[in-house]
Amino acid sequence: MFDHHRNGDLALPTRRQFLQRSGLGFGSLALASMLHRQTGSAATAVDPLALRPPLFAPRAKAVIWLFMTGAPSHVDTWDYKPELQKRSGQPLPGSDAKTGFFTTSGKILASPFGWKQHGQSGTWVSDIFPHLSRHVDDMAFIHSMHLKANNHAPASMELMCGATQPGHPSAGAWITYGLGTENQNLPSFVVMHETRPRGDDQIWSAGFLPKTFQALTLDARRNGTIDNLVRQQVQSDPQQRSSLDLLREMNQQHAQQRPTQADLAARINSFELAYRMQMAAPEALDVNQESDATKKLYGLDNKDCGVFARQCLTARRLVERGVRFVQIFAGKNTGGDGAVNDVPWDGHDNIETNHRTCAAATDQPAAALLKDLSARGLLNDTLVIWGGEFGRTSDSQGSLGRDHNPNGFTIWMAGGGVKGGVHYGSTDEFGYKAVENKVRVNDLHATLLHLLGLDHEKLTYRNNGRDYRLTDLGGNVIREILA
Amino acid sequence: MKYFSPIAFTRAAIISLGCAAFLSLPRLQADEAPVQPSTNDLAFFETKVRPVLAGKCYECHSAAAQQKGKLKAGLYVDSREGLMAGGDSGPALLPGKPQESLLIKVLRHEIKDAEMPPKGKLDDSAIADLAKWIEMGAPDPRVAAVTVAGSRRIIDAVEGRKWWAFQPLVQPPVPDVKNKSLVRTPVDAFILAKQEAAGLVANATASPEKLLRRATFGLTGLAPTMEEREAFLKDTSPDAFARLIDRLLGSPRYGERWGRHWLDVVRFAESGGYEFDGFRPGAYHYRDWVIRAFNADMPFDEFVRMQLAGDKLKPDEFDGAAAVGFLVAGPYPGQTTVKTEEKIRYDQLDDMVSTIGSGMLGVTMACARCHDHKHDPLFQRDYYGIAAALATTEHDAAKRNSSGAETQHALEQHKQAGVSLAAALKKYETEGFSRRFEEWRKTSLPQFSAATPWQIVDVRSVSAKSAILVSDAEGQVHYAGNKTNDDLYTVKAVTFQKGVRAFRLDALSDSSLPAKGPGLSDNGNFVLADLKIIARPLDTKNNAPPVPVKLKPVAATFEQAGYPLASSLDANDTSGWAVAPEMGKDHAAVFAVDGATVGFDGGTEFEFQLRFTGYFGLGRMGLAFCNGAEEAKLGDAKELQHLREIQTLAAVSDGLTLEANRLGLLRWFSHFDAHTKALLDAVSQHERKRPVPEPTEIYTTRDGGRDVHFLRRGEVDRKEGRMSPGFIQVLMPSGDAEKRWTTAAELEKPAPHPRVSLANWMTDLEAGAGSLLARVMVNRVWRQHFGRGLVPSSNDFGSQGAKPANPALLDWLALELMRNGWHLKPIHRVIMSSAVYMQSGEVNPANVRADPDNDLWSQRPARRLEAEAIRDELLQIGGKLDEKMFGPSEANYESGRRSVYLRVKRSELIPFLTMFDAPEPAQSVGDRGTTTVPTQALASINSNFMWDIAGRLADRVQATQPASIEVAIARTYELVLCRQPTDSEIQRMKTFIDEQTRLLGNKPDSPAQAMREFCLAMLCLNEFIYVD
Repeated sequence: MFDHHRNGDLALPTRRQFLQRSGLGFGSLALASMLHRQTGSAATAVDPLALRPPLFAPRAKAVIWLFMTGAPSHVDTWDYKPELQKRSGQPLPGSDAKTGFFTTSGKILASPFGWKQHGQSGTWVSDIFPHLSRHVDDMAFIHSMHLKANNHAPASMELMCGATQPGHPSAGAWITYGLGTENQNLPSFVVMHETRPRGDDQIWSAGFLPKTFQALTLDARRNGTIDNLVRQQVQSDPQQRSSLDLLREMNQQHAQQRPTQADLAARINSFELAYRMQMAAPEALDVNQESDATKKLYGLDNKDCGVFARQCLTARRLVERGVRFVQIFAGKNTGGDGAVNDVPWDGHDNIETNHRTCAAATDQPAAALLKDLSARGLLNDTLVIWGGEFGRTSDSQGSLGRDHNPNGFTIWMAGGGVKGGVHYGSTDEFGYKAVENKVRVNDLHATLLHLLGLDHEKLTYRNNGRDYRLTDLGGNVIREILA
Repeated sequence: MKYFSPIAFTRAAIISLGCAAFLSLPRLQADEAPVQPSTNDLAFFETKVRPVLAGKCYECHSAAAQQKGKLKAGLYVDSREGLMAGGDSGPALLPGKPQESLLIKVLRHEIKDAEMPPKGKLDDSAIADLAKWIEMGAPDPRVAAVTVAGSRRIIDAVEGRKWWAFQPLVQPPVPDVKNKSLVRTPVDAFILAKQEAAGLVANATASPEKLLRRATFGLTGLAPTMEEREAFLKDTSPDAFARLIDRLLGSPRYGERWGRHWLDVVRFAESGGYEFDGFRPGAYHYRDWVIRAFNADMPFDEFVRMQLAGDKLKPDEFDGAAAVGFLVAGPYPGQTTVKTEEKIRYDQLDDMVSTIGSGMLGVTMACARCHDHKHDPLFQRDYYGIAAALATTEHDAAKRNSSGAETQHALEQHKQAGVSLAAALKKYETEGFSRRFEEWRKTSLPQFSAATPWQIVDVRSVSAKSAILVSDAEGQVHYAGNKTNDDLYTVKAVTFQKGVRAFRLDALSDSSLPAKGPGLSDNGNFVLADLKIIARPLDTKNNAPPVPVKLKPVAATFEQAGYPLASSLDANDTSGWAVAPEMGKDHAAVFAVDGATVGFDGGTEFEFQLRFTGYFGLGRMGLAFCNGAEEAKLGDAKELQHLREIQTLAAVSDGLTLEANRLGLLRWFSHFDAHTKALLDAVSQHERKRPVPEPTEIYTTRDGGRDVHFLRRGEVDRKEGRMSPGFIQVLMPSGDAEKRWTTAAELEKPAPHPRVSLANWMTDLEAGAGSLLARVMVNRVWRQHFGRGLVPSSNDFGSQGAKPANPALLDWLALELMRNGWHLKPIHRVIMSSAVYMQSGEVNPANVRADPDNDLWSQRPARRLEAEAIRDELLQIGGKLDEKMFGPSEANYESGRRSVYLRVKRSELIPFLTMFDAPEPAQSVGDRGTTTVPTQALASINSNFMWDIAGRLADRVQATQPASIEVAIARTYELVLCRQPTDSEIQRMKTFIDEQTRLLGNKPDSPAQAMREFCLAMLCLNEFIYVD
């Protein structure tokens, strides 16, 4: 099963098609076909991004992961704890002052927000999400997430790549490796950020996978968006076309003398892809093509949430065009009080002011994304994930803040293949630790891959003598939340 | 207690003693079969125990689970045998000891990340029942459905030593071949024997042009220059190619190229990765040491020994500290918390153990961190033995003297040379100065007046954490090299005046600075994160303590949005004063003293501390103060402080006679008196030439750390006994052979440092890992020359790697390395002068049919250049290559330095290099991938870099004033592809240039632009980035 995911002969099924597309003459094609696997590099040279069928019928085609950089507090957002509200200021039973990065007080801190039940499911949500709370019946909540790492970069690596040490491929890279790309004119794995989150390239790395599967990053602070996407001003389109025609001709002559080397053909094709990307990518990223109503829905002109709104809208446009995996790291624009730019939700000092600002910067766009995807019939095929690096402590840091808490937190998913309005797992009565149906990162990853039609135990890549998996040695699909 | 069996205890005890004997113990002994349980016991089991185990545990821990491929952790709970033998974590139950039984611990959620069942804790009553059952002795009627012992792997070291890669090297006979005329070196005999057996006919030798390009790129990472090409093609002597190899091996470019290959293997980077990816300014010394070692052809065993223990083998030498940069080149988080500290320490050890394993020995030690290796005969104990050898090794950013004895010698010479100069000054100071000064004071001093509101300080000393700074007589501080993003400048000045009420910082532009400055970042900006001024009494009799001067911001010529002057005074190092977009101009800022004015009786020394964060420091600057009645303004005039210092001292009756003031006075006076100036200058100029034994920052090891324990399942909270240093069992003659390397030869000597023992074992050909070490390295050499190793998995010589198609050749090469005293250059020679290296790339269908993977090397496919070679060669073609070697890494990716000298930050890898498959420096990489993605093509056709190079190339061609377009085309071919174009190629290119000229509108500059388009197209050719 899944033999074509062995590194050795990745994508062999699409060879013939590929060579035809690359414009090599038929004579050489026949020879090349016969002589396949000639060089050491041919394995990855033959279009590793070609579409590959999933192992079984997928429930989702695309994923949009809204990463709430800095780690929102679960007990102030989606995990309502009446005991916490009742016993503010009292000692927290079983508290461990060294749970997080600093030292906590051991005294319970009630959530400063108002709580109400929403939707048919009666889901409790704090009042900082007036928009998202309308969509609770679309969300599957996992309240029992827990991690090994308790600081931002290692935790981000654990959530994205399944390991707290750098060098492992992130989920987006694994998925591209497993499924290829739907749209050759666009990248398959896109990361958007504003201020770069802690850990930078390490958290969306292709790790030991071939660089073919690496993320394309879009920095919200830059206009140019994709590097080298725009032709030099001194060059006109006909000039570039004539130049590419020349290249194809000369490169084909070169390749015909080396018929066993499919990597040469791949490179010939890559210039044509680049030429098409020049047109396709700016179109995909141009949110100005959207109607005023849509822009308003997302809050594009709202100064509090404009950046995230643009990112969410861009994500929808990308997914619509076949991009497989989009990850948005909510950035600096959402920086709450005192929090450092690259970890806006990091409410060490004051949960109330910090979380109000961060919620205001993300709530409307995230809700708009769900609504918009649903209206376009895309939500069925698109899995939206919302969550941060970890949760926050039930006891206070200082008097009004909360420290990191990797022992229990909430992530929700919506759309592609998950049930709406369900709650899986739980933390204890104070929200301090996950206790029931505890979910590890590899369970989350197993579920994610399952929804995309991949078996997490079979998606492997051999590196330094070992067949690695995104889920390492564990992982169980959380069937209870599957639709 | 009748069911009690001691086996589990025994095994645990043996493991913690670290004895090899346990390895041959079977998992379960036959004579342990329990006595038949009683009826009551059985009833308890059937009602309380079986339902729980079957309902909650069998799904993952039973023979049925195993059949479905769902067995987890190798643990069976569907038989007593299975529970007793346990899984990856050891025995699951100890009959009679529920509290110590793993089964109960995991059910009670006492072990982090092993809480069972994973879906939620059992009822307390169910756990109590199981505990009671164990207390009873765990009576169990079930019979194992599978042989538990048979289903797990037991490593046998004796068997393990038989694996081909772990056997000692034995000289293989050079095979006899039919067609002897094809044998250039013994390498060919090994290759040819296989080819002849398979009926293959190898290709003939490639053309001299192709050989030249192949060999030059192969050894130097650059193409041959036009001159080199001409010389080689003219040389028709039979040893022309051999001499070419010698010349290339002697080129300094060789070490840069092959050093870079090694840097892949050792996951080299200059930052810590993780949270803040802290930069390691001293990490480049390791890179330089590697390049030097390759250029000097350091014996490979010494090269390895130095990297493992250079700090102990050569404790007094800078090279020793530089070489162990290997150990600490890996990622290491800067920010740790109490909860994660221990785990991070073991992760750090893992980084070293894994890199040593994969990089030096081609064994995947990382797979033995949590359990014995699943596929190779590597014990978990081997892993922790090596970890224990590294136990005291910690990361350190230290200052070391980079030149030792040399400096001492030079210092002595300098001191001697300065004696007469100092004596002359001393003589003048005591004899001639007073008279000369008095005379000047009476006749000339009254003629001078000074009244500018600002007084420029005469800088007495200046230093910085990183940058090299010098001051001039005009009070200006100049940058002279070694900039970093973050720096701290310290400037000292003195005054005898009092009442200082304001300070001024001049940030000065200068044409020598990037974008004319005043800052050192590429755009000329800087961020002054923090300014501190400390005032100290100059007079040693004044006991007043130094005071930090409290400052408030007054005005600046310009304040960048978000970077106001005020933020250079706050405590926050991430904010500061900056001037974008107003770079390239002079700027100034004024700070007032907040509170009482400053100045001590008997003079004051000011220490200015300027901290720059993130965006480099200032390239040129000056400092001034004001002590007038009113606070000076930004636009007010300034001049040097000298005259007023003299006036101040002259106004005090004994000011001029105080011994302490005399040298200060000399300096002030020298501005008015040529004789004084000459004497002072002579001394200060000599002083400036002093060979300072300046300690250099280096990223190296320091002694520290703690004991290393054997970790059950690799988990830090499951320590099972302290480990003593040890090595890999199968790479030793017997399990307890460690002593051979860990104990001293003579009793009175202290035992060698554990890393020295490790190095000795590693390079011990007779009884240690030397054979494997040599095999792995010659395979790497082969891999870089052919694109694929004789063992295709360069980092894995175990059973999961690929087996060599030609093991005899590998062993022959390894022994050749021995024969040549571990020198690598002879290995290059023997490989490169063989027919298999020199052959052409033509495709012979019969060969390909018989050997589709080219395992027998009957032809030479074209290979894409590595990222660094592509970038470096583009720079060379554009005439932009900067051949400067060594030194701090270049942070500006647009510089002309070779790629090996560019800064490697783990979180911000260089996009151009990463795009072309430069690896992520997180783990050892033996075989880089070669991918083709559209982003490479986009960079090729659209990037500023490529267009810049194309323009430079066009200029280069035009500069030779080619007689015709045909000649220009031919020259471009030579420069880019190292060959002459064919006639049809010339015609096609001519048509292209004409077409471009037409598309450009046939304007006067159209031909030049069309030429640039042509050059760009040439640089995009496959033939350019593929080497035949």
